[in-house]
Amino acid sequence: MPLIDPVTMSAINPASQSAPAKTSSPIELLPNDLARIISQVHPVLLLSAYYLRFPSFVADPIPTLLSSLLPLAIIQAAYAALCLPATGSNAKAVKRGKLNGAKKIGDAPSANAFTLLFSFVLSLLSTPVLAGLQILFGAPITTHLPHTLLSSAHLALLTVFPLVYVHGSDGKKWREIASLHSPIDEVFGGAVGCFLGAWLGAVPIPLDWDREWQKWPVTIVTGAYAGYVLGKMVGSWLLKGRRIEFD
Amino acid sequence: MAPGIRTLFLVAANVLIPIAILTFASGFFPYKPFLSGLAQYEILDYGSPPEAPFDKVVFMVVDALRSDFVYSGLSGFTSTQSLIASGAAIPFTAHATSPTITMPRIKAITTGSIPSFLDVILNFAESDTSSSLATQDTWLAQMKAKQAGKMVMYGDDTWLKLFPDFFDRVDGTSSFFVSDFTEVDNNVTRHVPGELGNDDWNTMVLHYLGLDHIGHKAGPRRSPNMIPKQREMDGIVSQIYEAMATKKSLQSTLLVLCGDHGMNDAGNHGGSAPGETSPALVFISPKLTEISRGFMSPALFEENFQYYSTVEQSDIAPTLGALLGFPVPRNNLGVFISEFLSFWPNKNDRTQILLRNARQILSVVTATFSSFEGDGPSQNCGELSNSIDELACDWRGIVRSVPASGEDPDFERWIGAITKWLKQIQELMSSTASNYDVSKLVIGQAVAAVALFSTSIAAGPTVFNALRTSSPFIAISLSYGIMMFASSYVEEEQHFWYWATTAWLMLLWIKCNRKQALSSRLLALSSITILIVMRFARRWNQTGQKFAGEPDIARTFFFEHKTFLWTMVTLTYLWNLQSLATKGFQRFNQTASTAIATLLATAAVTFKLAFTNEDSPELMAGIAKLMIGEEMGVSLVTRARIVFIALGLALTYTVASSFSHKRPNPTMRTIHDLLTLLLITQSRATNIPLLLLFEIQFFLIADLDLSLIEISTTSLLLQYSSFFAFGGSNAISSVDLSSAYNGVSGYNVVAVGVLTFVSNWTGPIFWTSATNLLLLKLKNKTGGKEKGIFVQHLALLTMFVTCALFGVMAACTVLRTHLFIWTVFSPKYLYSMAWSLGQHLVVNVGLGSMLFWLGGLYL
Repeated sequence: MPLIDPVTMSAINPASQSAPAKTSSPIELLPNDLARIISQVHPVLLLSAYYLRFPSFVADPIPTLLSSLLPLAIIQAAYAALCLPATGSNAKAVKRGKLNGAKKIGDAPSANAFTLLFSFVLSLLSTPVLAGLQILFGAPITTHLPHTLLSSAHLALLTVFPLVYVHGSDGKKWREIASLHSPIDEVFGGAVGCFLGAWLGAVPIPLDWDREWQKWPVTIVTGAYAGYVLGKMVGSWLLKGRRIEFD
Repeated sequence: MAPGIRTLFLVAANVLIPIAILTFASGFFPYKPFLSGLAQYEILDYGSPPEAPFDKVVFMVVDALRSDFVYSGLSGFTSTQSLIASGAAIPFTAHATSPTITMPRIKAITTGSIPSFLDVILNFAESDTSSSLATQDTWLAQMKAKQAGKMVMYGDDTWLKLFPDFFDRVDGTSSFFVSDFTEVDNNVTRHVPGELGNDDWNTMVLHYLGLDHIGHKAGPRRSPNMIPKQREMDGIVSQIYEAMATKKSLQSTLLVLCGDHGMNDAGNHGGSAPGETSPALVFISPKLTEISRGFMSPALFEENFQYYSTVEQSDIAPTLGALLGFPVPRNNLGVFISEFLSFWPNKNDRTQILLRNARQILSVVTATFSSFEGDGPSQNCGELSNSIDELACDWRGIVRSVPASGEDPDFERWIGAITKWLKQIQELMSSTASNYDVSKLVIGQAVAAVALFSTSIAAGPTVFNALRTSSPFIAISLSYGIMMFASSYVEEEQHFWYWATTAWLMLLWIKCNRKQALSSRLLALSSITILIVMRFARRWNQTGQKFAGEPDIARTFFFEHKTFLWTMVTLTYLWNLQSLATKGFQRFNQTASTAIATLLATAAVTFKLAFTNEDSPELMAGIAKLMIGEEMGVSLVTRARIVFIALGLALTYTVASSFSHKRPNPTMRTIHDLLTLLLITQSRATNIPLLLLFEIQFFLIADLDLSLIEISTTSLLLQYSSFFAFGGSNAISSVDLSSAYNGVSGYNVVAVGVLTFVSNWTGPIFWTSATNLLLLKLKNKTGGKEKGIFVQHLALLTMFVTCALFGVMAACTVLRTHLFIWTVFSPKYLYSMAWSLGQHLVVNVGLGSMLFWLGGLYL
């Protein structure tokens, strides 16, 4: 289990930023009340939407997953646009003062729209990669391919989309994310929680309860949503700025 | 803490493991005492025992003859069905209790008792004499004691082992190859006409194995051989029936046709699915038309295989006793099948048969429950709280109201009461057939707990110095222990290991990515390959309960792509060959060492081809088929011995030559390659490519530069997941016996045991050897600075084993009254015995430390 090292709270301590591997700092929300409110509403909205769609998801996985992609994309886009600093926007400026912050949003709406689009494209491209990863983790390969692809699309919108929105395509940053060494914030925390939740979601499948919801990929997607929300909350608050250490 | 003390604690823990296991096992599988000696007719007030309608018996067992094979509309038993319709045959479904494998079933059929679960082990260790029935009372012993004729036996030699020196004329067949559908039965059938002409026997046992083999090979529905085999068996039934109807010497002969157990839809047996526990039982004789007007035949389809009326398998013994005129065997818990009562028009005789049956069971019951002794109430029994007291009370009532004569108006009511009582007492005795010795269960667990504590002290420093690194290992140990309480996770254990292993391999990728020891592209490539290999291994053999028999690589894909199978097999041999040729036998020059390696590989390949040609001829294709065509004449046993001897010589040479020749050489690698060749030899052809996949995985993992704790974790996970990838599970039916007799001609229990273990634990043994190479590499790298690498590794593994053992024991104790105790938890306990004693103590501790010690000498 990855544990969190309290020693490396690098973001809070500016001195540690001198270490080359740990230059990155956690993402801060946009400094306005709207962003703060939306970021609290966002998980509630996601979970209640998921809860409402759950019966039809169990009954009819493919159409439900497919039809809920657009609403999910809208929720994520709104959340990203209203709460998160887009990549390329001067992170330092955002951090430095609240005065500039409000301006920033108004400054570059077209740039942010482009970032949103770019994030969508990368999420779409990452979907087959995530599906491949799911198959490596034991997803059925000869059957259920649409299920796996659609659940990967959901995973991509939950994790890849906000990550690309805030980090862009910075190779170094992405290597840090891939080795789970990025400082924890609500975006990265949500992504880690989402994957962990999806992995733990496989646990009830072998039980002999013979419930309809034990079928592929219901538990995985449920775990992913629950993990995402939990990871996001923990990342934005409890463990913010810390890093995951394995040794 | 001083390393010496740690080692001491570790040794203590490993000594305690077998003590805990054996103590717990002796409480969990209690040895069932049996009453010895042959039963005699008691002198009762009602006169001499009733006249028996038959004097000879032909007992025809068709292995795995499920009820619907005889009774359903799709059956090949057409003439048997017409006998059933005419009344000359009386059909039953005989319920077989779990474990549904041949030896315990024969014990139940012959003694009338319910054999203990320990017989499962004894079924595999077949030559064990304690499982013999030579000294027990059986209907065979009773028939022999009559001295009215000889005993003859043709078919499965399990009978010969159970009844040594019982039979006067025998021809035993053994089931070395399940691919043999015809020979094994022809060896029985060829004796039948001759014996039907002889009139010197009074008991003839026939045991046909072919139908079981067909089931194992392809399942009951898919195999095109199933219906023809049923017709063949039907032909034998009608041949015997003809003789009984026409020959004067056979006119009082009873033919019993039965299965020892059934099979599930995959063709396997051992568990307690309805298909496995419902064999057919038919009594056949022209005389039966006196008491039967016939049954509807073929019968209507029954989903649960309960055709006609269902009796217990143990009921066969007392029924034969009355029909053939001998006392009920002493340890019998069977009940006389009441359908046959009408053979005795004199009602006094009927009273006697049931009363003698009841008195005999009572003597077994009294040994267990004291309520049956002495006085007590005999009326208003329903008011008693305890079901045992209630039955004792009922019994006193039955004894008091024995009808004086057939004219007694209460006669029918009394017959009903005693039959009901017999059924109830049978049910009571079979449910308490296992009296757990709870104190032994507790002691066993306490010892396991002490072992866990002691190994925790030994592993303590390793764990606490790197708490985060070792947390996955601890988490695996704890969750595994807890998981043992959920029967579905026990049945589907493979999912846990696959799930954890994939995540761990992913974690290793992430961790190595941070270390940046390898370029991230190379690392990604190698990690993805490791994961892909793992994914293929998962799908190699569908195992567990829920999805057993679903399409997989070994049984579905390879049967359709034989050329691909043999290409993969060839590649596995070539990989092994090139490694041996380039790294082994260093004192010879390159050409000579290549020649030696090629000779070894050739011996192994030709054996494997010849073996597969016998075991699964349907797999042979293309070049493999051509190659086998050329070389016949050398027996399989000899071929296997050649391989084993050649491997032994190569191993001895490698070990010895490296001692005198000090240089940094890949001796340990060569030993690993030789061991791998042995493992390949002990694997089924369809599993051989898995070893190539593991070699690739090992090759890539070796470059990841893992720490000690990471190596131990990887080793544990891959040992377990490879076991399941090879098709292992926690069910008795998944034990693969096909390679158990390689190079063994007689019954050598040690050799067969070792070979069975090696062929079922192939993956784990491979990973033990591979782990040793990783540890040696680590030792080499640290330059001997890190002390006690192997002790630390073993301490971690021992911690897992004791934790798992404690979990299994606790689950078995807590859930001992649970419905699944015989079907899920008892087999699981046997498996964890094999894991802890075989894989842990012998392989990981024994073989592992020997290899590590050897490797240390050469460093």
